[in-house]
Amino acid sequence: MSATRPLPDEVLATLLELPDLAQSRQLLDQACAGDPDLRNEVEVLLQTQAEAERFFADGSSALALGADDLATPGLPGIGVACPLVDERIGTRIGRYQLLERIGEGGCGVVYRAEQAEPVRRQVALKVIKLGMDTKSVIARFEAERQALALMDHPNIARVLDAGATETGRPYFVMELVQGTRVSEYCDGNCLDLRVRLQLFVQICHAIQHAHQKGIIHRDIKPSNVMVTLQDGVPVPKVIDFGIAKATDGRLTDNPVLTAAEQFVGTPAYVSPEQAERSGLDIDTRSDVYSLGVLLYELLSGRTPFDGRKLAESGMERMRRTLRESDPPRPSAMVKSMPAGDLTRIAVNRNAEPARLAGQLRGDLDWIVMKALEKDRAHRYQTANGLALDVQRYLESEPVAARPPSQLYRFQKLVRRNKLVFGAAAAVVAALVIGLGAATRLYFRERAALREEGRLRAAAEASEIRETALRRQAEARERMNQAAILITQQRYVEADRLLDAMEIPPPSVEGASAFRLVGNLLAIQGRWQDAAERFAVLLKVDTLDNWNDVTLDHQLYGTELVESGELDRYQRFRREMVANFEVSTNGRADWRILKAGLLLPADPVLITALSPLATVAERDFMVVSRRAGVNDPWGSISMALWKYRCGDYSGAAELCTLCLTNKNEYPVQIQTDRMLLALADWQLGRRAQAQGELLLGRDVILDKFKNPPGLGNAHQGFWWDWVFAGILMREASALVATNPPPAFSDKPPAPP
Amino acid sequence: MSDITSALHAVGREPNQAAENLLPLVYEDLRRLAAARMAQEAAGHTLQPTALVHDAWMQLVANGDRTWQNRAHFFGAAADAMRRILIDKARRKSRLRHGGGLARLDISELDLAGTTPDDKVLLIDEALKSLELADPVQARIVVLKFFGGLSNEEVAENLGLGERTVGRQWASAKGWLFRWIRSRS
Repeated sequence: MSATRPLPDEVLATLLELPDLAQSRQLLDQACAGDPDLRNEVEVLLQTQAEAERFFADGSSALALGADDLATPGLPGIGVACPLVDERIGTRIGRYQLLERIGEGGCGVVYRAEQAEPVRRQVALKVIKLGMDTKSVIARFEAERQALALMDHPNIARVLDAGATETGRPYFVMELVQGTRVSEYCDGNCLDLRVRLQLFVQICHAIQHAHQKGIIHRDIKPSNVMVTLQDGVPVPKVIDFGIAKATDGRLTDNPVLTAAEQFVGTPAYVSPEQAERSGLDIDTRSDVYSLGVLLYELLSGRTPFDGRKLAESGMERMRRTLRESDPPRPSAMVKSMPAGDLTRIAVNRNAEPARLAGQLRGDLDWIVMKALEKDRAHRYQTANGLALDVQRYLESEPVAARPPSQLYRFQKLVRRNKLVFGAAAAVVAALVIGLGAATRLYFRERAALREEGRLRAAAEASEIRETALRRQAEARERMNQAAILITQQRYVEADRLLDAMEIPPPSVEGASAFRLVGNLLAIQGRWQDAAERFAVLLKVDTLDNWNDVTLDHQLYGTELVESGELDRYQRFRREMVANFEVSTNGRADWRILKAGLLLPADPVLITALSPLATVAERDFMVVSRRAGVNDPWGSISMALWKYRCGDYSGAAELCTLCLTNKNEYPVQIQTDRMLLALADWQLGRRAQAQGELLLGRDVILDKFKNPPGLGNAHQGFWWDWVFAGILMREASALVATNPPPAFSDKPPAPP
Repeated sequence: MSDITSALHAVGREPNQAAENLLPLVYEDLRRLAAARMAQEAAGHTLQPTALVHDAWMQLVANGDRTWQNRAHFFGAAADAMRRILIDKARRKSRLRHGGGLARLDISELDLAGTTPDDKVLLIDEALKSLELADPVQARIVVLKFFGGLSNEEVAENLGLGERTVGRQWASAKGWLFRWIRSRS
C-alpha cells in the first residue's frame, strides 16, 4: 500500500460533498483505483452514513412539529400521563354506558355501548389507544364533522360523536353494526365470485357517496366493511369513516410510522402515495387503490402483498415495495398457491380448484390491476368507475381495463424510478450500473430524503387542498360519466356534461373523453364548440404521451382558425411555441409546425420556431432516406415552413417532388397543390398557381359537401382536410380570384 | 423584549454567564410567542420549532435590534432552549410508550431498528453529550442544525465557519453519533 493512500474518512467526506452520482462514481473510481480494500472500507462507511441519515431523518421528523407544548402553560399537551387502563364494562364514558367489548383493532378497542339521551339507542364506541394527541384527534374530527354529517348512505355506518375519556383518550361513537367482516362473510357462506362482485359494487357505491361529500376513508379493508343481514339480504356497511383522518398522528406526533398501530392505513391495503412519508398528498383515488386490494382479496383470498411481510420489512422497504413492485395478477396469485390453500380458497368460492385461476384470468385480472396502478392517474378515477367496470364484467360487456402494452410497461418503469433517479431516469440508470451497491444506496436514500423534505413542506399546504377534494371528486366522476356516455354513443349528453366543467384534474380518462367529444363536434362543423373542448383538453392532457399531446395541439389550432378565432389562435401558437421549445421527436415537430403555421407568421414567431424546425428537418431527411422517398407529411410540414420563411422555391420544389411521387393519399395531394399554388404565385408563376389551385379546390370543396366524418389515415382525417381547406382559402385570396366561403358558413346537417 | 436585548448585549462581555442568563429569557419569549400563535391558529394546528425561533427573532428585529452578533447569539440560545424543550417532550412520550417510570432510556436494551423517532431523539441527545467532549464544534453544529433547525448558512454565520465546512462537519457528526449509538446498543 502506498504512502499516499487516502484515508477512507477523507474519501467519504469528499464524496458526500459532491452534488451528483456521476461525479461521485468518478471520484470513487479514482480514489480507490487498484485498492479494493479502500473501496470496501469507503463503501461500508457510505452504508453507515446512509443509515445515519435515516436515523437523523426519523429523529428530526419527531422534532419537526413539536413545539406545541410551549403553548400550554404547565405542560403536557402530548399523550396523557396515565397508563393503559382498560375501560371497564358498565362504566360511563360521556353519555355512553359501556355494555360489552366487541372488538379490538389496530388503533383501539370497540365497545357496544348504550346512549341514554337524547335518544335511547345502542352504539359502537371506539376508544383510541394511547399514544395519540387527544386534542388534535378531536380537533381534526371536529373539522370534518360537518362533512361526515352529510353522508347518508345505506352502506355507510354513520359516525355520530367524538370525545375524550376521563383519562384523556379520544373516542368515537358510531352507528352500531352487528355483522361479520366482508371477507369472513363471503368465505363462511361459500359465496361464488359473482355474488362477491355484487357485494363489492355496493361497497364502491358507498365509497363513491363519501367521496362526493369530500370524505376520504383512508383505511378501507375487510375489517372496516361489515356485512349485516337485513330481511335476509346481505348488506355491506363501511365503518370507521373519518376516523383514519382524525387519528392520523403524523402531523403532530409521529411522522415516522414506528409500529403497526401508529400507521394510519393498513400496510396490506394502503396505496403507495398514502404510504409515502408525508402521506398527505392523497385524494379519493387512494381509496380506489384500497378498494382494488379488497377486490383482490375477495377474489383470490390473498392481498397483493403480504401484509405481515410488509409491516415487518420496515417503513422504507415497505414504501419501496408499494412504489416499485408489481404484485402478481389475482389469477397468477391463485395459481402459485400451495394445493391445500388453493382447495380451501376455491371451496370458499364454490369453485373447482382447477378452474379458479381460469375464472380470474382476463377481465377480472385487469380490473383489479387497473385499480392497483401505482400511478393514481392510471387507476380508475373514481370508485364508481371501478364499480361500473365490475358491472360491465357481470353483464358480459367489454370492460374498460386493459392489459398493459410493452411500451406502457416501459413507461411505467421509467416513471417508477423517477423519484430515485430524477427526471433523466434512463441516463442516470445507465450510470448506476457498475457503481458500488452502497454508494447507490446512499444516493438513493439521500434523494428520497430530499424528496421527503419537499413533501413535508407540501403537506403543510394540504389542509387547503382538502376543500378542493370534493370538487375534484365531482369533476372526476363527471368525466367518468362522460366517458361512459361516449361508449354508449350518447354524445349529446356527454358533451353537455363536459360543457359545464371547469378545468378538471389531469387524467388519461378525462383527456380521452374531451378528445372524443371535441372530435365529434368538429366533424359536425361546430368548430367553436370543438375548440372549447380542446382548450380544456390541452390543460387536462398533461400526462399522456407526446404523440397525443402534439396532435391535440394541431387539432386545437385548426379549430381556432376554422372558427375564425384568429386572436386566440395567435395567442395559442405563441404559447405553444414557447412550450415546445425543446423538441424531441421529429414527427411531433412536424405537427407543431403545422399547428403553428396555419396563418402567415411574423419574424418573431419564425425565429422562435426555427430550432424546432431544424430538428424537424433533420428527422424529415432521416425518415425520408430510410423510406427511399420523401415522407409526405414531413414534406408538407417542411414546405409550409419554407413557404412561411419566404423560401418559395424550396417550398415549391418539395411540393412538386411529392406530387410526382405517385402519392395515393388524396388529402396530401390537395395540400401539396395548395402549397404549390401559394409558392408558384409568389415566384411569379401565376398561370401555374391558378392551375394548381383550381385542380385542388374542387376536390377539397367536394369533401365538405357532406359531413366528412372522423376519417382515417388513408382517406385523411377531418383535421387534415380542414388544414388543406385553410391553405386553399389563403391561396384563393392570394390568387385574387373569389375566395370560396368558409365551411362554417354552411354547416352540414348533423348526423 | 428589552430584557433579551440587554442580555444579548451582555453576551459580548461575559459569554458563559450571559448565555446561561439568556436561556430562560429566550425560553420565556418562545413560550409567549407560541401561546399567541396557538390562540390564532385553527384548532389542531401545530407549531414548528424552526418557524417559532425565526418568528421570535423577527419580533426582536421589529423592536429595532438588528446587529449580527445578537442574531447569532439569539439563534444559538434559541437552539439550546429548543433542545431542552424537545428532549423533555420526547422523554415524556418515550416514557409513556415504554410503560412509564423509566427515568432515561437504557441504550443497551434497545433494539435500534425498533426504536421510535422519539427514542432516536433521546439517543442522539445522549450521544451528543459525548461528542461535546470529543469535538465541541461539531457538537455545536448538531445542536444548531438538529434542534435549532438552522440552515447551513445560518450555522456558518453563527459559528464563523464556511458554509461548506458546516455541511461537511454536519455529515461527519451524524456518522459519528450514529456509530456511537450503534456501538452501545
